Amino acid sequence: MYINEDAIRRAQEMYGVNSANNAAALPPVNDPEKAYAELTRQEYLDYVQNYRSFEEGLLDKARTDTSLIDQAREDVGLASQLTKQVANRNLSRYGASLTPVQRQQMAKGLERSNVLGGIQAVSDARLAQREANQTLLSDLINIGQGVNRSSQSQLGQSAANANQLKNAYTQAKAASKAQTYSTIGSLGAAAIFAFAF
Amino acid sequence: MGAKPKAQDYKPSEADKASASVAMAEYRYFKEKYDPLLQEMRDKSLTDDYKSTLRGRASADTMQALTSSPSYQQTQNLSAAGDMAQAVQGQLGQATTSAKQIENRMQTNVLGTARGQAADAQSGMAQAARLGTSTALARAQANQQVAQSKLSAATQIGSALAFQGMDNMQTRGPSDQGPPTAGSFFSPVDPNTGKKVSGFGDRIRYSTGG
Repeated sequence: MYINEDAIRRAQEMYGVNSANNAAALPPVNDPEKAYAELTRQEYLDYVQNYRSFEEGLLDKARTDTSLIDQAREDVGLASQLTKQVANRNLSRYGASLTPVQRQQMAKGLERSNVLGGIQAVSDARLAQREANQTLLSDLINIGQGVNRSSQSQLGQSAANANQLKNAYTQAKAASKAQTYSTIGSLGAAAIFAFAF
Repeated sequence: MGAKPKAQDYKPSEADKASASVAMAEYRYFKEKYDPLLQEMRDKSLTDDYKSTLRGRASADTMQALTSSPSYQQTQNLSAAGDMAQAVQGQLGQATTSAKQIENRMQTNVLGTARGQAADAQSGMAQAARLGTSTALARAQANQQVAQSKLSAATQIGSALAFQGMDNMQTRGPSDQGPPTAGSFFSPVDPNTGKKVSGFGDRIRYSTGG
């Protein structure tokens, strides 16, 4: 018995479990309905405060982002400069020299390849941009659809609850009226019996 | 006649209250521990610079693939610089696209979680490891390989020719009938006949030891 209690105590220490403290830390909830209502409202307010502008930014980005295309345009100049430097370094490394005609041909070839490569890169970037924006938009629509679905379900539940309450109220009113008429009838009958005979 | 309904009979049971308390505690714990993390992720997804990392790696990959073994022959290749420019552009484009995908995925994950929708557990950074090779880089690499192979083949043939020529020059005819005949670069001397090997059939006979 002593061993078991000791083992339990050690396990509780190991996992940071203390049942007495945990029970004490539990917030008292006397009205779950009210607590749930507050929680739901707070969740929405938190979302508006922390994520609404983020979401709107993403929606805007999915429709207007052109960063891939802009970057591809910038890369054209960068690649040309980089490869020119590499070629010059190689020439000086081996002490090689090119004739003026060779130099001219190399410059022309580099320019031609760079322009053609740039056109290809920008076209690829256009496609990639379209795909990235489309994917982002689809993901956002999926999220939005999920939110819409759960909101409708939430609203449907609220409507069903309200309808149930309305029906219960109508039934209670009818029952009350029936009770009143029945009481009046009973009293009337009693009065007739009391006075007529 | 039944007793009047009592309000306390319609209050939540102790089990309901305990369940609600636990749920409320979990909710507060979540708000305290996980909500700040999600907000941190939101900020990170807006500020983290995946683009620089991936582009840096793409650039390094390209340079490693195309300039890791420089040679004199490369300096004379007039189209190499153009090939490299196209390869750099292609690789950088792929890196930028991958970075955009990572950024977008992180942001939609944050939003999905915030909106209580399913989030993709992947961070997207795994994509960094799969950064593809662009067509331009593959072509530039292939061009370099072909050029290198041509040079190797020429070197092999040249070496074989030089060795065989030297070998031929060292051949001598028999010395019992006067000064021996010496072989030249292209024509060895047959030690059996003491004459220089000439003609196609003669060369085959000499080579096969016949």
